[in-house]
Formats: sequence, structure tokens, C-alpha cells
Amino acid sequence: MLALLTACDRPDGIPPSIRYPDHVSAGGNLPPAGDLQNPFVADSTNVADGSKIFSAMNCDGCHGGGATGWVGPSLVDGRWRYGGSDGAVFQSIFYGRPRGMPAYGGILSTGAIWKIVSYIRAQPVPVTVPTESFK
Amino acid sequence: MPAKDYAATRYSGLSQITTANAPRLRAVWSFSTGVLGGHEGQPLVVGSTMYVVTPFPNVLYAFDLTHEGYPLKWKYRPDVNPSSVGIACCDAINRGAVYSGGKIIYNLLDGHTVAVDAVNGRELWKTQIADIGQGETTPMAPFVAGNRVIVGPSGGEFGIYGWVKGLDLATGKILWTAHNMGPDSLMLARPGRGRYVADPNIGVTTWSGDSWRRGGAPVWGWISYDPQLDLIYFGTGNPGPYNTEQRPGENKWTNSVLARRPGDGSLVWAYQFTPHDSWDFDSNAEMILADLVVGGRLRKVLVHFDKNGFAYTLDRVTGELLVAEPFANVTWAKGVNRTSGVPIVDTTKITGASRGDVKGICPSLEGGKSPASPAAYSPRTGLFYTATNNLCMNFAAAPVTRIPGTPYIGATTPYMVGPGGNGGAFIAWDAARGRKVWEIKEKFPVWSGSVVTAGDVVFFGTLDGWFKAANARTGRQLWKFKVGSGVMGAPISFRGPDGKQYVAIYAGIGGDWFLLSGDVRSDDPADVRPPADFAAELGRHTSQGGIVWIFGL
Repeated sequence: MLALLTACDRPDGIPPSIRYPDHVSAGGNLPPAGDLQNPFVADSTNVADGSKIFSAMNCDGCHGGGATGWVGPSLVDGRWRYGGSDGAVFQSIFYGRPRGMPAYGGILSTGAIWKIVSYIRAQPVPVTVPTESFK
Repeated sequence: MPAKDYAATRYSGLSQITTANAPRLRAVWSFSTGVLGGHEGQPLVVGSTMYVVTPFPNVLYAFDLTHEGYPLKWKYRPDVNPSSVGIACCDAINRGAVYSGGKIIYNLLDGHTVAVDAVNGRELWKTQIADIGQGETTPMAPFVAGNRVIVGPSGGEFGIYGWVKGLDLATGKILWTAHNMGPDSLMLARPGRGRYVADPNIGVTTWSGDSWRRGGAPVWGWISYDPQLDLIYFGTGNPGPYNTEQRPGENKWTNSVLARRPGDGSLVWAYQFTPHDSWDFDSNAEMILADLVVGGRLRKVLVHFDKNGFAYTLDRVTGELLVAEPFANVTWAKGVNRTSGVPIVDTTKITGASRGDVKGICPSLEGGKSPASPAAYSPRTGLFYTATNNLCMNFAAAPVTRIPGTPYIGATTPYMVGPGGNGGAFIAWDAARGRKVWEIKEKFPVWSGSVVTAGDVVFFGTLDGWFKAANARTGRQLWKFKVGSGVMGAPISFRGPDGKQYVAIYAGIGGDWFLLSGDVRSDDPADVRPPADFAAELGRHTSQGGIVWIFGL
């Protein structure tokens, strides 16, 4: 865990060209340089590591336990403000987003961020989204 | 001022609206604020102008009450750092403005206090008082005592080092800063002098190591003032983090009432409601000042409904505890020792990372009453009126690391509705004897403030969007109106330029309910949540939306 949490490995492979405030790209197509690949496979070890980091870095303080939403949005509803691909989620964590999502690049290693991505992307989307009915 | 008077009574001396004619109340005006966040706090009427502060981005509207339709005189749209939204623990709310010396003074979420000319809306001064980089935001309503503007921060969930500041009313300059814990020099405390009898540096010795530096004690509630005693009274919030094992000790002065001199901030006395807080029982609720006969003697008291479920009556000259009785369902303590002032804690309810998931704690950390829902006091009935919650919780603490500007919490705390099955109630309380006089049960927790009038009518709102009037003596319901969104604001009553009595209230659910009941939100297509399991029906009755309402006969 400690090795994962430190920022000792430099954020190699993060092209500076993607550092726009809102990451909005022409026609919705990310520039090729922004097409990042998660170096980890989504196995149970990496997902469990990601879950621990999610708590240890206080992500649950805003996004809620299980990432089901709190003052920050739900990350398990299958909906995404800034894109739900591995690379887009990575960029949200690394660079932060407007209205309060802090940039964790430099606080967390790129490896730790990728494991959070693995954890979030492994969460099941509830079947009841989007309809809520009342009896 | 935000709570009507220095004593924070929220009592209106107007008597045109009575228990007899209240059923004929009707809506006379409404206005969409254009903002969706939780609309806490209250409008402010000064002369023939009504001032309304919105949640982030903290627009200030000035309505001309002398013209049909109450058109705007002006609006003031400050530049507020949007990053502050992510630093606010529980929605980007604001608790209102104060008027003094021709100025409307209020806090912006991003750690600034502004003074605006009440006539023309021009900004007169703007002072940075807090640092969002350290997790401090500023939604509380400033208070003015003499020529001091008193302000404090939120951030009990971000490991702040809590304080209050005294600003010069004329210039906004910060004249003093008093911390709520730490060395006496930073607390502006002089043990042994005056009435402050605590041990030297008790703000350090009741903590482990330097944990006081990130120990919370925010000041996000209400302030009151006794001009004769020249003391301001305010409550402090929870210690951080929620995991008690990272801060052994009583953690003074978190979850406390502090009495300070407004001129220089010096600490005169303090009393801690919940030592070594294990349950997030902030004490930011209002301290209402009254003169009551307690035990056969007329006493100058302050009355406080704490999140911990006990209602306290203290001598406000000395801080002596006079009455402490539960006003809500309480399981964490068996009572409060009247002599020592210390709660008799049920040790099986103490939480901590090594204690696993502690079950059946009542009240929940929403409080027996939320400090966001200020109570009212009628000198005519001698009763206090407050919203209450009937929620319990389980509490699983975990170790947590402080990263400045991110949450510093360390607990998972699911809620359940308490005994009886009603989520809350609106109650009348006899603070001299410590007993409930009447109650109106509600399906959902009750989160609104209240106002009580010389017509013996008390007003409050519900989370499912009703604004209600009741007989202040009997609790009999007189009238209700569906205001369009859940109510977490505080009603006011005022005399209009036409000489008639009116009642105003905000609709606009948010605050903790923005977090707990994410299905009342429809503004973000990328955030779709199921209902809260303990309030599953709430989304059936309300959605977010800020509206100012005025009612009259």
C-alpha cells in the first residue's frame, strides 16, 4: 500500500496536451495523445487495492462509501460528466475537475490512480437506473 | 439580524395574524432564486426592503416591498471561487445576512465576508477570513455586536483548526482571531482571571500530541449577545476526525458553548456538551437568551438544543448547568450529571476504529435537532419551539489521513428511523423544567427553523414541502401550504410598508438532504441515485428548487 500511495514514480505517459480545464474536445473526440490505457488488468487484487486507496485518500468523503454519491456525484450509476472510459476517469482524478474535485496528480502515483480507476470501473451499475417508481 | 434580536429568539411582536385567522393565510408573492442548492437561513427585512442571499453563488437580492410585485431594487452578484463547492461538506448553503449601520453583511462560500451598501448594493468592503485550501468554507450568517462583525468557518469534516474572528464593522479589517482549542494564547484565554477557571492550556492538554491543530471545532451556526454582560455566545462543532482513536482526550473546546467578549475576543467561560465526541454531535445550534424562573429563582439563562439529543438550560453569566433533559430519543448517554455537567455515557455506544460497527446509536449524526434549524422562543408562552429528528445510526469508524482540502472523516454511518416510525417532529419545550409540552409528528425529519408571534402562532416547514402554522400554546395545526420544495429555511414575520403582517419562508431542499436523498436532484444527468433507504418516499414529494414565499391575510 505504501508504495502505491507515494508519488515516487513520475507521471510518465501523461501528455501535457490534454490539460484543458474541462477536457472538452472538438466533436467529442479526444486527441490521440489523450487515449490512455490502464496498465493494470481488472483482477480482484487490483480492484481491492483500488478500493483501499479510494478510502485512504478520502475519496469516499465526497463520493460516499461504495462511491454511491454524497456531496460529489455517484460513480456507480453508469453516468459520467467527463467521460467514463479508463483514460477519462484517470484524467478526472489526475487533474481534478471544476467545482471541487481536487487534482490528485503528484499526491498519488500514476499506478495508484490507475488502481482507483480499476476499482471504480469494476463496480456494478444498479439495474434500476434510470427509473424510480413509487408505490 | 438573522435571528430577529440579540437574544436569538425569533419572536415577532406582530399580532395581526392570530390563531383565529391563520387558517385564512394565503400566498401573496413568490420568487425563484434561480439557484438549486439548499435554501437555509432566512430573508432579512429592513425598512421597506427585503434582502435574500442565495446558496452558492451567493447572489444578494434586494426587493422593494413598496411596489406591486416587489420588484428588485438591485442584485449583487459576487465572484465566488467555484472550488469552494467541493470544500463544503454538505451542500453549498448559506445561512443569511445581517444588517448594521447601513450595510448588509454576509459570507461568501469561498471564505470571504462582504459588506454591501443596503441602499444601492455597492460593495463597501470584502475581507478574506478563511482558507478553502485548508478545508474552510463560510456559510454561516455573520453577527454584529457593537462595532464588531463576528464570523466563523465550517470545516469540521476537513480537519480545520477552528476559530472565530472579530472584524471592524466600518472597514472589514480583522481585529482579532480566537481559536477554539490550542494554547491559551491562541484561544485568547486567561485561566484564573475573570470567570474562565479552566486549567492552563486545556485546549492542548485535552488532546493527544498536536491533534488539536487539525481538530475541527468549526463555527457554522448562530451567535447571540447579551449587551448588559457584554458577552457573545456561540457553539463549536465536532472534533475531527470522527475516528476517536486519533484524538484521545476530552478535545476541549469542541462541541461546546463559548462566551467571549466581542471587543477583543477574550474567552470568559466555556462549557462542553459532549466531551471526546464519538458521534459527530456538533454544538453549533443557537443559544437563545431568556430570563426564566428555574428552581424558584429568576435566572439569566441560555437555552440550547444540542445535536446530542439533550436540551440544556445554562446560567449565561457563569456557564453553570441548570437543566439538561433529552428532547429526542437518546441511547448514547443515560443522562447528564447536573453537578459535574458531564454526560453519563453508555460505554457500549463509544465508537472508534478498533470498536467495529457500533449499532443503535440515537440520535444519528444529523442530530436530535439540526443546528441548521434554529428554534424560537415566545416570552408570551414561555415556551421554546424547535424542529427535531427521530433518527438513529450505526457507526463504523476507520483511520483516516488528513490531506488539506479533502474530507477528514473516517466513518461510515447508515441511518434508520427511530422508535415510533416518524422521522421527526416539531415540538414545544419548557426549558425551565426540561420537558416537552406538545409535539406535531412528521413522517420525515423536520429541518426548518421556526418563528413564533405575538398572535401565538408558530410557523415551521417540512422536508416534503409543507409550510405550516400551529397554535403556539396547544400545538393544534391551523394552516398549511405546499411551497414547491422541501423546507430547510427559517421563517420570518414582518410588517410591510402597507402596515400588514406577513410571513416569509424559503422553499428549497438541499443541505444534508442533498447528500442523503440524492434522488431529490434532477439537475445533473450524470448523477442518478436511488432513494435513501430510511426516507425512501421523500423523492415522491419534493425536488430541489429555491423559492422565496410571502404569505399574508
